[in-house]
Amino acid sequence: MNSDFSKPQRESAFGIIVMAAHTAFKIGKATFFLVIYAFVKMSAAYTAYVLLGVGVIILLCVVFSYLWYLNFTFFLDKEKQEFVVNKGILNRDQVIIQLDKIQQVNINQNILQKMIGVYGLKIDTAGTSGEEVSIKAIDEVSAYNLKEHLLRGKTAATEHANVLTDELPIIDEVPFLRVSTWTLFKVGLTSNYGQSLTVILVFFMYTVQEARHIMDIFGLDKGAVQSTVLGLATLFSVAVIVVIFLIVLLSINLIRTFYRYFQLEVSQHKNSLLLSSGLIAKKNTLINPTKVQITKHSQNYFQKKLNLLNISLKQAHFGESKKGKEMQGNTLEIVGCDTFERDELLKMILGQVPTLGKTFVPDWRFLNLPIFFKLILPVTIFMLVALNVPEVKPFLGFAAAYFIVGILMIYISYRRHRISVNQQFIIKKSGIWDISNEVIVPHKIQAITASQYPWHKSVDVGHLCLHTAAGQIHFKYGNYSEIKTLVNYWLYQVESGNKNWM
Amino acid sequence: MPTDTFTNEEIDINSLPKYEEISLKKPHSNYWKIICINLIITFLVIGITATLLIFFNEKTQPHALIIVGIYLVVTIVTVLLFYVSFKKRGYAIRTKDVIYKSGIIAESTTIVPLNRIQHIELNEGFFSRMFSLGSLQIFTAGGQTGHIHIAGIPINEAKSIRDLLLNKLELLETPEIETKLKVNE
Repeated sequence: MNSDFSKPQRESAFGIIVMAAHTAFKIGKATFFLVIYAFVKMSAAYTAYVLLGVGVIILLCVVFSYLWYLNFTFFLDKEKQEFVVNKGILNRDQVIIQLDKIQQVNINQNILQKMIGVYGLKIDTAGTSGEEVSIKAIDEVSAYNLKEHLLRGKTAATEHANVLTDELPIIDEVPFLRVSTWTLFKVGLTSNYGQSLTVILVFFMYTVQEARHIMDIFGLDKGAVQSTVLGLATLFSVAVIVVIFLIVLLSINLIRTFYRYFQLEVSQHKNSLLLSSGLIAKKNTLINPTKVQITKHSQNYFQKKLNLLNISLKQAHFGESKKGKEMQGNTLEIVGCDTFERDELLKMILGQVPTLGKTFVPDWRFLNLPIFFKLILPVTIFMLVALNVPEVKPFLGFAAAYFIVGILMIYISYRRHRISVNQQFIIKKSGIWDISNEVIVPHKIQAITASQYPWHKSVDVGHLCLHTAAGQIHFKYGNYSEIKTLVNYWLYQVESGNKNWM
Repeated sequence: MPTDTFTNEEIDINSLPKYEEISLKKPHSNYWKIICINLIITFLVIGITATLLIFFNEKTQPHALIIVGIYLVVTIVTVLLFYVSFKKRGYAIRTKDVIYKSGIIAESTTIVPLNRIQHIELNEGFFSRMFSLGSLQIFTAGGQTGHIHIAGIPINEAKSIRDLLLNKLELLETPEIETKLKVNE
């Protein structure tokens, strides 16, 4: 591979293997239970046919990957500042990416790529379609070299002479943030309970669903299985089940944290930030700090005691979803930093550590709607049901507990909800358990909405919404005159300067 | 920025131009007719479906009165809400931004600075064309919520606003406007 990527070139030939394995894996995943079923149910005479079928599929994968490899070329158009990728097996597709639209470059390595010794490179843009380019196999030096060209944008063309010296791998860079295993352990114990709970639930549903299939396959007696499960359930008391559940939850939390953030390191590399982490597959992400739209740092009560913080960097996303699922690539999470490291990171992204300015707090009317819709309405309905259905009556205590906890949570969210404004920054604080601070700079604002209910006119209460390319920031039930002043001030800041938001 | 030309004076926040004091232009009164036509069509379709249902399905016949009642109430409430929201709408173009006010219950004002506009769309619907009206959409990178849709502008005015905005955008020379990511399918 030549080092300046000016001529169309193919990726490394190892890409065929990676692509074939990738495709085969996808097919395998989709037909996993079918294959198992075929093996168990069919008589031995047909095993040969099944194996033959699998063989044919693998062969097709290889042929497909070879064709894909032949037609996949990429190059850098220096004059137009574009990265051009040609691809497609039957139809020819050309993807053109303007260099200054590139937000981040991911350099990853999965197990297979690690064994062969190549890297995968992905380019994320802020494109409407969310179209991204993925190069499956490229050697390390070329990968970092290409990334340097891609992220440097306009300067790359003029400073081309320097490029050769950049080719040294980034290993000599001293990371300014390194998360130790012990810190990661603490992070795992204190964060993301909600997400892990969903994982457990999804897994549970999946098992229950698939258990039926498996029982069908092996011809197990459902009644016997059911009585065993029930027997196990009564064997342990509720308390033991709760403890087991908590242990499972925490271990899943730990495993997830370790899998994603093992050896998390952040270092500054030229004019981009390099984040690397991962237990099995190491993930390297390079981002341009100026393209971060919202910087958020959050912390819960435990983490505050342990001096731990989670930071997420949100980048622009125009298309809400990419092929139906939520775009995740555009938010980068850095877990387990302490306050000093947070300040260093903020300095790197925002140029300085944001200081609190004038703080605005919401009116007490903030409490009305949530208390009515989340507490009074459901509890009243529940009471009405309970008064008429005797079976529900013993659970009235739960309703009272729900009401008290609810009031407390809504009150906390009201106390935390505030926005702080100074000349350079807007900091929005919110949260109930995890308290988050979202920092944006005024020139990243795309549009501003101020709104008011007619019945709040007399008390001068209204809402504010700042639209940025990475999501919105709301401030509710503030003093409407103050909000209007703020809007005028931000409009002045956005419109008088000609600072680029990307 | 060289230090000798750099100045950093304090700004008098109260002397900044106030968006809330701008007098907003209302949509053309013919636009109310278009809203009505659309509502009539929608409710006709629903009404016909409901009538057919009552007529051919004997189980629903005893409830016919209730259904008609609900239908009438929903129609009247919808028309009223649309009328209120029509009355609340207003727009203004300033030299540096576009202001649009709207809302059914809450009254919200959205302001898009010109240097944040990604692209502009001018739409003419079937009925709008009969009344020579058009609607202008202004998109930013702020996603679905950060965009402005001004309906019911006289088509000539809409075109001149569009040209004006496009001219301003070219003057600003922000590279975002002319090219989004080009993807060749």
